Amino acid sequence: MSAATQNVYLPKPAVLERVVAEIPEVKTFYWHFEDDREQQEFHKFRPGQFAQISLFGVGEFPASLPSSPGEEETFFTIRKVGTCTQALDELQPGQKFAVRGPYGNGFPMEDYYGRNLVFVAGGIGMIPLRSCIVYALQHRKYYDRIQIFYGAKAPRELMYMPNLREWEHSAGVECYLTVDRPDASWTGNVGVVGSLFSKPGVSVAVDNSTVFVCGPPVMFRFVIRDLLAMGCEEKNIVSTLERYMKCGVGKCGHCCIGVAYVCVDGPVFTYQQIKKLGEEI
Amino acid sequence: MKARVLPKSEVLALLDLLRAQGYEVLAPFCGRGRDTYFDTVTDQNRDQVQIHLPNPYYPPKRFVFPHIERLMKAERSHGDLRIEPIYDAPKRAIFGIRSCDVAGIYHLDRFFLGREFSDIYYQKRRRNLLLINLVCTDPERDIGKECFCMCADTGPAARDHFDLQLMDLGDEFMAVAGTSAGEVLLANPVFRKGTDEHVARRRTILEDLRTHFQSILTSWFSAAVRYVSQGKVSEKTWEEIGQRCLECGGCTYVCPACTCFTVTDRQVGAGQVERVRMWDSCALGGFTRMAGGFNPRRAVHDRRNRRFFRKLSHYFIQRELSMACVGCGRCAAVCHGDIGMPTVVEMIRRATAQAEAR
Repeated sequence: MSAATQNVYLPKPAVLERVVAEIPEVKTFYWHFEDDREQQEFHKFRPGQFAQISLFGVGEFPASLPSSPGEEETFFTIRKVGTCTQALDELQPGQKFAVRGPYGNGFPMEDYYGRNLVFVAGGIGMIPLRSCIVYALQHRKYYDRIQIFYGAKAPRELMYMPNLREWEHSAGVECYLTVDRPDASWTGNVGVVGSLFSKPGVSVAVDNSTVFVCGPPVMFRFVIRDLLAMGCEEKNIVSTLERYMKCGVGKCGHCCIGVAYVCVDGPVFTYQQIKKLGEEI
Repeated sequence: MKARVLPKSEVLALLDLLRAQGYEVLAPFCGRGRDTYFDTVTDQNRDQVQIHLPNPYYPPKRFVFPHIERLMKAERSHGDLRIEPIYDAPKRAIFGIRSCDVAGIYHLDRFFLGREFSDIYYQKRRRNLLLINLVCTDPERDIGKECFCMCADTGPAARDHFDLQLMDLGDEFMAVAGTSAGEVLLANPVFRKGTDEHVARRRTILEDLRTHFQSILTSWFSAAVRYVSQGKVSEKTWEEIGQRCLECGGCTYVCPACTCFTVTDRQVGAGQVERVRMWDSCALGGFTRMAGGFNPRRAVHDRRNRRFFRKLSHYFIQRELSMACVGCGRCAAVCHGDIGMPTVVEMIRRATAQAEAR
């Protein structure tokens, strides 16, 4: 038993800076720790990791980190879906809440050096992938092709619009967007995200590629099917799993699937690993 | 082994000695019927402490991992947020903890203190805890029909992880120290020098005890571990086990090796919130439910599968270097659907062996 055991359950006060509406029910919350040292320490996180957010009196919940360690600001993008997220939604800029983390394994971005990176996101599945995409673009020379396939229900459900516009127009990225239900102003592709793969002029990088897939369960199943049919290897498909971790440090048992604790062994797993865990995604 | 003995007349002197050293001493008492429990020894109840009795259903694990435990306090005032941890780790001695429960606490040690993150709340309580193990020697009162410590290799006499072990030899207790804290206790004059005859009697009693265990089903433990680890248990077998689960969570609450908890906040004053953790159970439907209602583990057999997989798979035994089942038999005693560990081990063994033979 080491003498200087830290209290891993103790969150640190954080200040909400500002809130930006992304899509209906989803907002991005910019924040920083009250303590500068805390902030610097936290900022060493890796894409794909998560944090525990505390709204005292309501509860604590895990959330992906959509920002990249290379970006100056830290933020969460949260869908209002339960009591905790509702309480966060009601918080005003300047008010305080609490955060602890980062937790989890994150994406091993260094292991992917020299490879193509293919990002396939559906809906709010873009939240954890945004961190990787920004990271990859900040380390552009280490990667070969970078492709982004992003689908949402409707044009107004596409997240991180300023980023999407930037990626669409930057030379080093192939960015393809699609929506299920177009509106009058939509000129892009219509259909599920998998429909982009077979579009004329699109060639999905399959060889020497790592494919990131994040999205709702239905989308996940179909995209995986398409990717495998195109010759993607299961070990080269990566995703992040969601569970309601109460502790984030491998103790509470809530996120245990098969032989894995999602909070410490994940949340990033290869499809090869996910298949063996034996639970719904 | 340095043999020391404690005359039966000196048991209360030992309890008093511990109390004088500042320990809150917890010992087993008899309630009505089968009801037995651990309670704090006081001047009023000290002569009612029991040596031989059925092991309490409510396991002594709560003295290191309480049913409900305060973690921290948060206070909001004038726009500020102050968060202070709450530590409560009294100096405690458990007198009369059974060998299976000693193994249970050792499992909790491995789980809460090992791996990437150490649990400071558990650590603080554990450091202040002294374990005085009592070997189950009375076949009538100590050994229940559900006990299978022999199969789990945790008893009836624990080999390690206690501070001091006492074993009833008839007129006196044989005393063995397991740690330096135990050695210090043994140096006290209430303990006398033992003889070779005492050591021989201890051996005879232990050999005789082996014949008093009724639960033979769990002698298939190793087969069940193998089948579960190799993924050979069919979905149908898990479903059969699941169909008998009433989803009461009793097995997890009496288990000395279950570790799951949930965390919740409660208002304790104006602008003041306490965060507490409390035991949770994988048998309950809401255990894995997420915000928005999605629950990846819906079917009851998924959840039963989880509990037994967690306890029986080689992966987790290796991960903690100890097994999350210590053979206390409590789950077998409390389960209304008769799917305690011994039954499940037998169901898995029979179904899987038959399937393999086909």
